[in-house]
Amino acid sequence: MSAVAIPAVRRESLWSKAAWKLARDRTGMIALAFVLLYMLVAVGVTAGWWAADWSEVRGGKWEAMSAAHWFGTNLIGQDIFARAVYSTKTAFEVGLVVAVLATVIGAALGAVAGFFNGSWIDEVLLWLMGVLDSIPFYLFVAAIVFAMQDNPYAMHIAMISTFWTSVGRLIRGEVIKLRGLEYVEAAHAISVPEFVIIIRHILPNTTHILLVQATIMFVSAIKSEVILSFLGLGVKDGMSWGLMIAESSQEVMAGFFNNFLAASVLMFGLVMAFNMFSDALQDALDPRKVG
Amino acid sequence: MSARLPRAAPAPSVLALLAIGLSIGGCGGTGDDKDTPPRTPGSRGPAGLKVYRHAMDQAPTSLDPVQAANVYANFVVLNAYDTLFAYKYLARPFELKTNLAADWPEISADGLTYTIRIKPGVRFIDDPAFADGVGREVVAEDFVYSIKRHFDPKTRPQGAWLWINRIVGLDEWKAAGSDYAAEIAGLRALDTHTIRIQLTKPYPQLLFTLAMGFSAVVPREAVAYHGREFAVHPVGSGPFRLTSYDTSQVVFERNPRFRPEPVDIAFEGYDEAQHGFSGVAAIDGRSPPFLDRLEISFIAESSARWSSFTKGDEVQYTSIPNEHVDEVLATKQPVTLKPAFAEKYHFFAGVEAGFIFNAFNMDFPEFGYNDDPERERRNKALRCAINKAYSWEQRNESFYMGLGNIFPGIIVPVSPEFDPGLSRDSVTRDVAGARKLLADNGWTPENLPPLVYGANSSVSSRLIFEQFRAWMKEIGYPREKIILKRFATFGDISRAWKQSQLPYVSKGWGLDFPDAENTLQLFYGPNSSPGSNDANYRDPEYDRLYELSSTMLPSPERTAIYQRMNRMLIDDCVANTGLARTRIYLWHKNVIAIPDREIIGGFFLRYVDIVDASTGTVKGGAR
Repeated sequence: MSAVAIPAVRRESLWSKAAWKLARDRTGMIALAFVLLYMLVAVGVTAGWWAADWSEVRGGKWEAMSAAHWFGTNLIGQDIFARAVYSTKTAFEVGLVVAVLATVIGAALGAVAGFFNGSWIDEVLLWLMGVLDSIPFYLFVAAIVFAMQDNPYAMHIAMISTFWTSVGRLIRGEVIKLRGLEYVEAAHAISVPEFVIIIRHILPNTTHILLVQATIMFVSAIKSEVILSFLGLGVKDGMSWGLMIAESSQEVMAGFFNNFLAASVLMFGLVMAFNMFSDALQDALDPRKVG
Repeated sequence: MSARLPRAAPAPSVLALLAIGLSIGGCGGTGDDKDTPPRTPGSRGPAGLKVYRHAMDQAPTSLDPVQAANVYANFVVLNAYDTLFAYKYLARPFELKTNLAADWPEISADGLTYTIRIKPGVRFIDDPAFADGVGREVVAEDFVYSIKRHFDPKTRPQGAWLWINRIVGLDEWKAAGSDYAAEIAGLRALDTHTIRIQLTKPYPQLLFTLAMGFSAVVPREAVAYHGREFAVHPVGSGPFRLTSYDTSQVVFERNPRFRPEPVDIAFEGYDEAQHGFSGVAAIDGRSPPFLDRLEISFIAESSARWSSFTKGDEVQYTSIPNEHVDEVLATKQPVTLKPAFAEKYHFFAGVEAGFIFNAFNMDFPEFGYNDDPERERRNKALRCAINKAYSWEQRNESFYMGLGNIFPGIIVPVSPEFDPGLSRDSVTRDVAGARKLLADNGWTPENLPPLVYGANSSVSSRLIFEQFRAWMKEIGYPREKIILKRFATFGDISRAWKQSQLPYVSKGWGLDFPDAENTLQLFYGPNSSPGSNDANYRDPEYDRLYELSSTMLPSPERTAIYQRMNRMLIDDCVANTGLARTRIYLWHKNVIAIPDREIIGGFFLRYVDIVDASTGTVKGGAR
């Protein structure tokens, strides 16, 4: 007998296929590079490598662009470039905190609601989601921010309180689908505790949804933060693109656009890059497209 | 010369309504708008009616004189109601004149008893509150009733502070339950046209208080008839009568029965060199009001007001928003307009009757009074260092286009007692001096106390805070120790000041009357929180001088005391002050007016007239 060489079969998972596809999505990769660049900027601000002087008065009123002040200065002589760069940190901080916590809460409550579909637990959670979704977003956020005036995280809490419901609904639907599959029934049959089933066997299979939702919420959180800060309900003590745009609302009438342009361009770049990356990730993780 | 309109003539108000009806009808459907009145700021309607459109940045919350606590309410109230005294239209410094009062009061030799006669024949507007709906004559008892209302808690009064402990028996009347049937010894109507006021101590500012909207005369039956609605249904004897009022606009029409009083323009302070450009000389000898209709819109956003004004839509005049100053002004010192604007608008520039300032709350042991004398001494050094680090010049340049008037102390430039020769050291920035002061008194970044800075949610307030924080960082105050506490509205932060919740107060003050007493009382001990002394400054010598001067008539001696008190505040570094803004008013050239509303409030509106666009002259003549 001669030995027959059996070719090694490389087992392809959803993740490896998605990674392969994502790596070949040129637009997605460029977008990711931009996002990483922004992240580097945010890390640098946090570490104090740059933009540490964002709050200091270093020039005169409304100075034009120069070597000393790349985007000029604002009404009180602060460097607009430093403030715009510092705002990147604010955007990332808000985006990350809101996206991560809203995703975790949405995943947990959505999974519980889906797993106990039809029970009173599901009813209560659905009712809660319905109530939160029925309140106009900015009205709700404004109410929470107003009620928690001294809390620097009021805006974060307000956004998390509303953002988790969309994740929760998606995960609930996915879990309802998953819980009828054979492997879950098998787990039931061998008396695996329900909590373990949810955590170990069901939630991991919703990760592709959570990942995409987290990126979408990241972008939404940044946009909401900018709008809330513009309205005076957002960042309490720090700098944000929304605050810069609010500052510029009167400046543009005087023909001074630097604050507006600096904040808008940087915000546009991040939101656009993250949206494109989110799209690419969604395409890569879509089982119908991954095959 | 003056004469009443003949009874047979249609009342202007009827014509106004007819004109409005016609213009609305014209818009309705024919598409033919050639008869629609032009939407110019001050315009004549199809029937030759004079309509004046004006804008304010806030709406009054009440039109009841007892609640006329802010400039907006005061502005509107003075057009519907009468006060015993008023300010001359054009005279600066401000001068009082009689209004509803027939003459100057007779004042007893001890300065405690005022006898004031009011004009006979003055009538309230027609209102269902009166018998047969016809306005009755204004009598002395109406004034007595109107002041009593400030001491009746049921009316939620806000002007009682003007007369508390000043009038014999008034405070006791309140303590006894505010029974309107009960007599007050110090506030009586001697007959239908004579008022007698007896003071507990001399009160030189009394006549100023009787020119404020708070003291406007209201009829008792109208208050009873309208109940709570009285706050939005003024029934007065002023030059205008209300036709509508909501949160966006108040509309008045001419009070057809307003007493005829020809204007003596020279008496009002007219100066050809100063006022000639405006054409106000044309109202000489004629009886106000000259407008048939007065519309005051409430537009909060300055850019919206500006846009509305420049469109010639509905705003008569406006202060120039900061962002447009460079666009409009050719020069700032003196203020002149660029040709494109000078061609279209008249303008007037004047210093505000008020100021903006900062003050430490002395009740905070970290900055003010302290049980430890050594710490109290160091606290004073800390306050002085912070004041030295403050740059009024930069604040002026950033937020007031460099047009503000920086001055030391709290006696403002428009006060007669203002001392232009006072040292400006306290308003001159000295960073090195501030640092030295801190170092000499043992202050280091580690032991400097956190300073909570209150600001409302506006962009400007935030930037003012950031500017302050940046200046403090220059003298070594760590950024994280200058803490921003935000408040949703001005009302919220004002409440925090009143409740002594903030260690540092940054606010503005508008004079109620042209007397430095009105700003010096801001630091008088008994006025501590929740009174007007937000700094909670309590200095026995200062209080003694205040009490001494409060009973003195204007004199060099009183001025000297005022100025001494002013220097005490500067030396104690309790306040960081101040800046008086320059008001620049623009108005369309078809309007005849000097629209300076400082102290005078809405009183000037009765003198506004509209040029006849077709002839370029003022029509009307004597009424």
